[in-house]
Amino acid sequence: MPELGRAALLVTLGLSLYALVAGTAAARLGRRRLARSAQNALVASFGATAVAAAVLLSALLRNDFSLEYVARTTSRALPTAYTISAFWGGQEGSLLLWLLVLTGFGAAAVTLNRSWARDLIVWVVPVFAAISTFFAFLVVAVASPFATQPAPLDGAGMTPSLQNPYMLAHPPLLYLGYVGLSVPFAFAMGAILSGKLDERWLVATRRWTLFAWAALGIGQLLGSHWAYVEVGWGGYYAWDPVENAALMPWLAATAFLHSVMIQEKRGMLKVWNVLLVILAFSLSLFGTFLTRSGVVNSIHSFTQSSIGPWFLAFIALVVTVSLALVFWRLPRLRSPTKLESPVSREAAFLYNNLLLLALCLAILWGVVYPMLSEAVRGEAVVLGRSYYDFFLRAFGLPLLLLMGIGPLIAWRRASLRSLATTFRWPTLVAVLAGIVLLLLGAGSSIPGLVAYTFSAFVLATIVMEFARGTRARKALGATTWPGAFTSLVSRNRRRYGGYVVHAAIVLLAIGIAGSSAFDSVAEAKLRKGDSMRIGDYTLVYRSLSERSGPNATEIRATLDVRRGNRDLGTLKAGKNAYTIEQQVSNEVGIRSDRLTGEDLFVIAEQINPDGSVYFRVFVKPLVNLIWLAGLVFLLGSVITLWPDRREQRRLVARASEVGIPATR
Amino acid sequence: MIALSVAAVLAVFLLYTSIAGGGNPSLAPSELDGRSGTVQLAGVVVGPIAGDAHAGGLRFELRDIGGGKATGVPVRYSGSVPDLFKVGRHIVMDGELRKGVFVAAAGSMITKCPSKYAPKRRGDSA
Amino acid sequence: MTLALLLAATLAVACVIVVALPFLREPEPESDALEDLDDEERRRLELLEARDRALSALKELEFDHRTGTISDEDYRAQLGPLRRDVASALQALTAAEPGEGQPPGARN
Repeated sequence: MPELGRAALLVTLGLSLYALVAGTAAARLGRRRLARSAQNALVASFGATAVAAAVLLSALLRNDFSLEYVARTTSRALPTAYTISAFWGGQEGSLLLWLLVLTGFGAAAVTLNRSWARDLIVWVVPVFAAISTFFAFLVVAVASPFATQPAPLDGAGMTPSLQNPYMLAHPPLLYLGYVGLSVPFAFAMGAILSGKLDERWLVATRRWTLFAWAALGIGQLLGSHWAYVEVGWGGYYAWDPVENAALMPWLAATAFLHSVMIQEKRGMLKVWNVLLVILAFSLSLFGTFLTRSGVVNSIHSFTQSSIGPWFLAFIALVVTVSLALVFWRLPRLRSPTKLESPVSREAAFLYNNLLLLALCLAILWGVVYPMLSEAVRGEAVVLGRSYYDFFLRAFGLPLLLLMGIGPLIAWRRASLRSLATTFRWPTLVAVLAGIVLLLLGAGSSIPGLVAYTFSAFVLATIVMEFARGTRARKALGATTWPGAFTSLVSRNRRRYGGYVVHAAIVLLAIGIAGSSAFDSVAEAKLRKGDSMRIGDYTLVYRSLSERSGPNATEIRATLDVRRGNRDLGTLKAGKNAYTIEQQVSNEVGIRSDRLTGEDLFVIAEQINPDGSVYFRVFVKPLVNLIWLAGLVFLLGSVITLWPDRREQRRLVARASEVGIPATR
Repeated sequence: MIALSVAAVLAVFLLYTSIAGGGNPSLAPSELDGRSGTVQLAGVVVGPIAGDAHAGGLRFELRDIGGGKATGVPVRYSGSVPDLFKVGRHIVMDGELRKGVFVAAAGSMITKCPSKYAPKRRGDSA
Repeated sequence: MTLALLLAATLAVACVIVVALPFLREPEPESDALEDLDDEERRRLELLEARDRALSALKELEFDHRTGTISDEDYRAQLGPLRRDVASALQALTAAEPGEGQPPGARN
């Protein structure tokens, strides 16, 4: 069966090359049938890749250890769900997943849009084909998932920390995000190549960009949650290059989502938008490269992998070619409309973009600095978390504030008088909140206090917007308040879905501020019966137990938890010793307070032979707001993504007015 | 206007990183000889491992990754020990060389994750 | 092993057919030219987009005023210019019409 896999990937490579060459020729020479043939090749390449993926999946499920990849990433004892997740657990399989999603998205995006944007699609096809040719080449020639070997009796198994439900969803979501950003990129390049610089490329890709961005956001939150509960060091983000690899394209995509609104409403910033989408896609390629090769002295890999140089070359190629194309079309992209006032919604979005970009570049600098300093000074200098924290606060806090200001400023020009009226109430709320928080002791961390105050401001503006909108809708004739609310949101999905997403970001900010600026930690070595205190919690170490699980020995220390006089039950923390993988993993005990969102986080650092345990305990206020923010973010994304039939009809009407044939 | 802001921000980074010295040099054990000040040491763990990280310090040796020098640097580490720590593991930690022994900053050890996913880090809370 | 080869061959053949389909379906077409927008149609598309943009800006102004985001005086100040934008966009469109009463979508 591996022969089928290899052959299928070879077919994909052939089809991608054909789509690239034929597609370019068809677009250049204006040949209809050739263009259609190239499109078909793109769609067929998805089919061929799917066959290869099916072969790998079946090999995994059958424990076919004659495939070197299967032997390396799974074992017989591995539960089925994790065996499936091994598909993307290693380098070759994850590249195949990239290719699968890429060809799938490419096929879908091209097919869905070819009826009303045929002149644009004809150039989008070769761009997609170019990207898929690269990845197909990698899995065929450089990192094949179908390398064979004499089958060992059992596989090497999966790292215990990956055997976790979060690891089933986290990588695929991130890949949907990374690859999803290729769609707006391909359409932007298609628009530039075809010279069709109207809005159609933006309109066609808006939902794709939103989807990719949402997937990246949720994927990262899942990853953070996994790090928090599974890796268990007490935190959820370590500014590791691989974590940053997903954050950077997400920040660029966030900037892009905002600035396209300016292009839609005012026709401005066309060059900026194209540059942003190139940046976002390049960063997602770079992110894949960082995760998969050993270039950065990250804890992920200290040895160079084979695909590193190829990736770097491809990224360089993508960046140079796309920038050259933009430069070529520069005169056509320039728009006459100028920014009218520094106090306007356009200006607010522009500041938002600058801040997001600045944060993104700061992180990028932090990631590449060790490589650069090694090249220049011969010594790799690593930037620590204080660097990242500084810039997160420097750019993140103003961004937080801007989230509340932007939506409430008028387009073009806003008078300071109207600003004073609009922001009177939210500012009052924020100042009040600030005073209350100061009295509660939040002055111990100024950035934390500022974050809380800004969050109060933004939440107030969001509530105000929903309230005023509902009231206006009711005045227009809606019969009930809930009715007014639903019709408001349904008729203005982008705006109010966006507000829900902003609310999610605010919750995220509050959660991060609480758990990092106002947390506490205590350590103690306890014998059975000993107790320790942290904050107003008291923990008593009661007993130690050992149990044989399906693929590991589980050792747990049981503690009684009290707060003041109230008995809060027991908490277990310990370690798992995995037999096949020969590794030990940490199993932390977390007690979440439903009311306050606070976590009591217990790590059994060291279990000594005499039964005493060295514990490390954290109290993390408000940390659960972070996970709640994820759910709210999902809700907001779904609202904005929801198809709008009214908008669709308008677009089709516009296309037919110009005479673009609407036949398939 | 946009280009100016971006340039200004970039200038801030370069200033911050070069003057404020937010970073530590990352060295292999063979490069450590004679170095003073806080550095980041990256290498492979060599046994025997003795001591208690929470009482007196864990003692082991660290050698260059990929062979090279036969002798390693003696290390004394206290604080959280990541799960993956064992002989043969690649690790990274901050600290300084004192009288021939690399004394690591408490809780600064990070181990290499054998797969390609998120950090196996113990130490400061995030 | 031979099953794998058979399946692989089937896959390859299927893909070749799919790729050749446009040529197989129309061995001798009337016109193989790729339909494209000429300059006039491109200009018309831009004008349509400008019109829609002006209309939506007006709509958003009304909405913002109704919800109280924009004060009465700001509303009055912006209403004039936006209305003029819409008028000029509609004017430009009618001026660019290919001929009187020619129905759009007559191209095919």
